[in-house]
Amino acid sequence: MKIEYLSHTADIRMKIEASHLEELFRAGVIGMSNILKDGFCNQNVQFDHKWILEITALDSTCLLIDFLSEVLSASYAEKAVFCEVNFLDFSPHHTIAEIRGKQIQFFDEEIKAVTYHEADVHKNKRDQWVTLVIFDI
Amino acid sequence: MKISKEDIHKIEDYLWEIPKTFRPNMRVPARVLASESLLDAIMEDRSLVQLVNVASLPGIQGASLVMPDVHEGYGFPIGGVAATLYPDGAISPGGIGYDINCGVRLLTSNQKIEEIRNNLDALSKELYIQIPSGMGKGGHIKLSVQEMEEVLLKGAEWAVEKGYGVKEDLAFMESKGRLENADATLVSDMAKKRGADQLGTIGSGNHFVEVDYVEEIYDETTAKAYGLFKGQVVVLIHTGSRGLGHQVATDYIRQIIKAMPNYGIEVPDRELACVPFNSEEGQNYFKAMCAAANYAWCNREVISWEARTAWRNIFGSTVEPLKLMYDVAHNIAKVETHVIDGVQTDVIVHRKGATRAFGPGFEELPDSYKAAGQPVIIPGSMGTCSYVLAGTARSKELTFGSCCHGAGRRLSRTAAKKQVNAPVLKEKLKERGIFVEAGSFKGIAEEAPIAYKDVNMVVETVSDSGIAKKVAKLRPVAVIKG
Repeated sequence: MKIEYLSHTADIRMKIEASHLEELFRAGVIGMSNILKDGFCNQNVQFDHKWILEITALDSTCLLIDFLSEVLSASYAEKAVFCEVNFLDFSPHHTIAEIRGKQIQFFDEEIKAVTYHEADVHKNKRDQWVTLVIFDI
Repeated sequence: MKISKEDIHKIEDYLWEIPKTFRPNMRVPARVLASESLLDAIMEDRSLVQLVNVASLPGIQGASLVMPDVHEGYGFPIGGVAATLYPDGAISPGGIGYDINCGVRLLTSNQKIEEIRNNLDALSKELYIQIPSGMGKGGHIKLSVQEMEEVLLKGAEWAVEKGYGVKEDLAFMESKGRLENADATLVSDMAKKRGADQLGTIGSGNHFVEVDYVEEIYDETTAKAYGLFKGQVVVLIHTGSRGLGHQVATDYIRQIIKAMPNYGIEVPDRELACVPFNSEEGQNYFKAMCAAANYAWCNREVISWEARTAWRNIFGSTVEPLKLMYDVAHNIAKVETHVIDGVQTDVIVHRKGATRAFGPGFEELPDSYKAAGQPVIIPGSMGTCSYVLAGTARSKELTFGSCCHGAGRRLSRTAAKKQVNAPVLKEKLKERGIFVEAGSFKGIAEEAPIAYKDVNMVVETVSDSGIAKKVAKLRPVAVIKG
């Protein structure tokens, strides 16, 4: 998987890429959590929190954005940063997943929301799943 | 889609238009309130493409509009105004934004800057202690389920009832700090959970509490009506509905995207997702938005209580307490009446990064402000200056009674962090007599003055165009940030 942070006037524009759709979702979670707590998921984290979430959406783009929004809400509700995703069920319109993370003292960045703006989950010419995600900061 | 200068027509000084023939799905023209140099700056990001997208909303009236402080957002541009026909025109949560009822208020003192200059360092530190700030930080108040319901219904009144506010403040807030249409049952449990410990907190990003003094008065009569005088120390508060509002917007944008096909609505950007205002989904969102707006007014009232505590701790109880001059929202939707093509028309006015700026005679204003018009508070960037303006009748003619909301961002946060050495900036500001208390150097760098447009140019534009008039200029002396 590949995670890049691109320029945006006021917010954060993230580009994620992966060979499988599930991997793209995992990249989204790691990319977002590494904003909430700088580089947190790149460390060897001992998880002490888990959360189950279920999402149904119109298409894979909405599914990804709604999925990341749920992870973000769980992060604030539990004051935890989530890095690992285990899909119990996955299709382009529906998923049940267990996310695992660790409780923290404070966040490094406050993400207000995961937006649908510019999000478009699709395969590129190299047969990789790719999308942009804009976070409202 | 590219927009070039040739696509934009000058209507009059400070008013530019992209005609509705520019793109087939535009229902109205798109208008920009700006000087030519600001227009050139605005064209550097994708604000105008987003403005054209807004012009396609079902039921939009007159024109989609942006103020001179506009910058690229997500869906709607930040600094945008859109009015849709009541009752069946669109309501779009993206046209209000995730930080529902983000807004500003100004507290005034009886002290002059010369009288307190030696206490500024101590005052800024005490404000930082009293007012919780920073990423996801909780506050002193933990709301029970019942208390949360009351906050969502009563807004700032709740703070007054519980001893965290001043009854006299209520008359000096937009909508008196409470929207009647609020329905707490339409706010999700997750939103309530996120908001339960955040009342009285400013959060992070561009939110702040700032101590300023009145450097210049432009209109003595209006300044006197507002209780402002030269040299006076004032406190400026900028924040919104915190995690509760963010969650309400997230919840309803998701629901409305799913509901749009039922109404045959298609939008060029999913962040513009909308439904008819009078649909079940539209009403549910509007009532939840009103509840979140009430939470924000209550939040700013509690923060004022914390600021008043800090003030008393530094200056003692013999000094006159801080008094609320006014509180305005800049991310909100309201049902208002405006004249469109010569006809009084009820519309749903979406303001996202735009301030209501109604002129003299507006009945909601306290008696002492009726002749002057509604106060409009324009915070500048950290270390520059801020303004108090007065709304005018002209704003109703040009901008659905709206005005700018700040300086407007120019540089990305990443670019600002690359260009700014935060410890050096903090020292330089201190040398200029501005004390900064912040949770991180990152926060200082991201909000450095270089990251913003020149607030003076923005204010000159709104003043020269006639949609607001300058009353006073404020100079900062202490900044408290998350």
